[in-house]
Amino acid sequence: MTLEIKGLTKQYNSQKTGLSDYSITIDKGILGLLGPNGAGKSTLMKIIATISKPTKGSVFLDGKDIVSNPDFIRKILGYLPQDFGVYPNLNAYEFLTYIAAMKGVGGKGLRQRIDMLLEGVNLTADAKMPIGTYSGGMKQRIGIAQALLNDPKVLIFDEPTVGLDPEERVRFRQLIAELANDCIIILSSHIVSDIETIADEVAIMQSGKLITKGDQQDIIRQAMGQIYEVVLNHNEVGDFKMRYKVIDTSRQNDRMRVRYINKDTETVPGSTAISATLEDAYLLLTLNNA
Amino acid sequence: MSYILSIVKADYLQRTRSYAFLIALAVTIYVAYLFVPPHHAMYSTLSATGFKGAYNSAWIGYVSALMTTVMLSFYGFLLVNNSIKKDIDTEVGLIIATTPISNFTYLLSKQLSNYLVLCTIVVCTFLVSLVMFYVRGAGYSFILSDFILPYLFFAFPALFVVAALAVVAEVFLGKRNVLQFITYFFLCGIVMSQIATKGNDIPTGFNDPFGLSLVTSSVKNHINTTYHQDIKQLSFGFIFSPQKPFKIFTWNGIDWTGIFIFSRLVWMTFALGLVYFSSFFFHRFDFKQVVRKKKKLMKQFQENQESIISSGGINTASLPPIVTNYSISPFIKTELLLMLRHGNKWVWLLNACLWVAMFLVPYTIAYSYLLPILLFLQVKRWSDLTTKEKTNRLHYFTYASYRPLIRMLPAQILAGILLAIVLSLPLMLRSVFLLNIAAVLNIMNGAVLIVLLATTLGIVSGSSKLYEIFFFLLTYCVLNKLPVTDYLGSMHHGNEHTLTFIILGINIILAATGFLVRSYQTRHL
Repeated sequence: MTLEIKGLTKQYNSQKTGLSDYSITIDKGILGLLGPNGAGKSTLMKIIATISKPTKGSVFLDGKDIVSNPDFIRKILGYLPQDFGVYPNLNAYEFLTYIAAMKGVGGKGLRQRIDMLLEGVNLTADAKMPIGTYSGGMKQRIGIAQALLNDPKVLIFDEPTVGLDPEERVRFRQLIAELANDCIIILSSHIVSDIETIADEVAIMQSGKLITKGDQQDIIRQAMGQIYEVVLNHNEVGDFKMRYKVIDTSRQNDRMRVRYINKDTETVPGSTAISATLEDAYLLLTLNNA
Repeated sequence: MSYILSIVKADYLQRTRSYAFLIALAVTIYVAYLFVPPHHAMYSTLSATGFKGAYNSAWIGYVSALMTTVMLSFYGFLLVNNSIKKDIDTEVGLIIATTPISNFTYLLSKQLSNYLVLCTIVVCTFLVSLVMFYVRGAGYSFILSDFILPYLFFAFPALFVVAALAVVAEVFLGKRNVLQFITYFFLCGIVMSQIATKGNDIPTGFNDPFGLSLVTSSVKNHINTTYHQDIKQLSFGFIFSPQKPFKIFTWNGIDWTGIFIFSRLVWMTFALGLVYFSSFFFHRFDFKQVVRKKKKLMKQFQENQESIISSGGINTASLPPIVTNYSISPFIKTELLLMLRHGNKWVWLLNACLWVAMFLVPYTIAYSYLLPILLFLQVKRWSDLTTKEKTNRLHYFTYASYRPLIRMLPAQILAGILLAIVLSLPLMLRSVFLLNIAAVLNIMNGAVLIVLLATTLGIVSGSSKLYEIFFFLLTYCVLNKLPVTDYLGSMHHGNEHTLTFIILGINIILAATGFLVRSYQTRHL
């Protein structure tokens, strides 16, 4: 199964561009989307989910254009939007039955399927409570369950771990790692560690454009030799930040340990080069393309 | 003070930058045009039997101002009674609750923004009234004060009270919109009947927030004195009646008394006092009472939370195989469930009483009054049909579902119609027993109309407000026997079939518009 995106442009108005001539090919496995706010991640996901039409370009799923034939993907799509809601007066069973109907899933096995999904997201005990009484994390888990109702072959998760506690985040990662064997999973998150742990490939976006796509090691390699650490006095940090892109700061006794990007050949005295992480590479690449 | 203005400004802009407001404004402008009908028109707005006012500045200015005041006092309430609800829905209220703003200041800012919204509409009708003076041009000289003063002393103070009552209703009745409507219109009914039963004394305005009695009393006295008549009452509102011979009289307005102007200040102070009083009962977005009601539920919920046993995740291989089912019946079932659970259970009790009463009261009463009222009581259920997805941010799922246009939307419409027909059943059964098949068809046609109006106006405007106002006005007109609004076919017309076909035509246009616009929306999020 392959999702092929060619020359996608989404122009909201003369000033606002969501995507600009965006092309990417996505195969089975997990693709992590990284990018600052407004990079176009949600726009891309909405277009793949067929709820937004591109101004230009096309999206092919196994050679079939889903822009002109959205129902082709809808049958096998699982979508968890960033800021979805629920009907607060329905309980989890009723809500999932409703969503199942939207996806065209029914039959005798539906109830059992819902039971198993609810158990999988740890909501069995609260399944008969109105969803309006759920916490943010529980609603998010309902969202994950609904995305899996129709045995999807294309799964789109827009910021799926928002509101989940650490334990649930781990469970979610395990879950999608299992699912990735036979479907395309597109996952966007601001939490780089979520992507780092599970994504087979990473695509970094900025201003509606694709900056890079590849496996994590390829991307990390692009930041090699440019990430440094230095220990500074508190009063030096402000001035230092003016000159270098600081990635992270942490307290070390009475001083500050500063992790920063240095693209110059000249190094700051006292600095040591350290191995880059995906987060470093992401920050470096978005800085280069700013 | 500056932060009150900031809140008022933000709130005002947020509310006026919506299609629903623009459409309401456009409709108001059209209605304002109708305030001054040609003398040969089949309706009048202020008249006495056998007499009509000459279209001088005073007549056009005063009548426009009064009509604006009374009409806007009724439907303006529906337009603005969601300012606190909006803060609850968007959860902005939680942020507001943590700021130093006092309850009174917050409620006052809400009242003022309500007032500004209403004043915007008033200014538009004022401008239309100026235009109407020249459109109906009868050669009289233009006197600006005849336009400004009635608006200043009738419309602006009255709407200040309406704006306050909308806030007070939200504080005390929360999200129970239907109960808010009923209470408000009951109060309005009492005030209007007080005005109507007033004797021949010169009105002071203390029992009349609209100022209506001052004008009607002046016009009545003018006719009685000039033409030696004994007219007891004037008709006011959109009154339809066949053309009869009439005399045209010239009325030059009223002398503004200090006591009347003082009475306006008293009404405005009373409104402020109500807002202040309600501030002691304002929930400040802490819904303790709701928690108390659901105490048992929450206890069970907490127990459940404690007893969660961590499972091993989802084994997709062990899930039952997918069985496809593209029927729309699950949607209809859910839509009915959502409508059933919507709103206060006491409204269902009222529904049940009216439903049973339709079997028992005389047929014409059931048809002309009980059915329109019973249908109007469902206004919130229908107005939510196609707007709730967006309100609850569920449209991402519905628009991405399989064939939403030929499955979801028809299910919503059918569920709405089903509810309307079940509610109309007593009257339909009685009509069948009376062999009045035309009535059955008309009721069904009307049921489809109000549901399609709800779905289409909801889809087009993106808000439930427009339909709520429209349905209110429609019900008001039906109860006042305005033939052109007879969507249930309860009045006698020259040709019964014409009405049926006209409504059928409107239904087709509404359905087509709803489907077309929703088709666009599903692909343009």
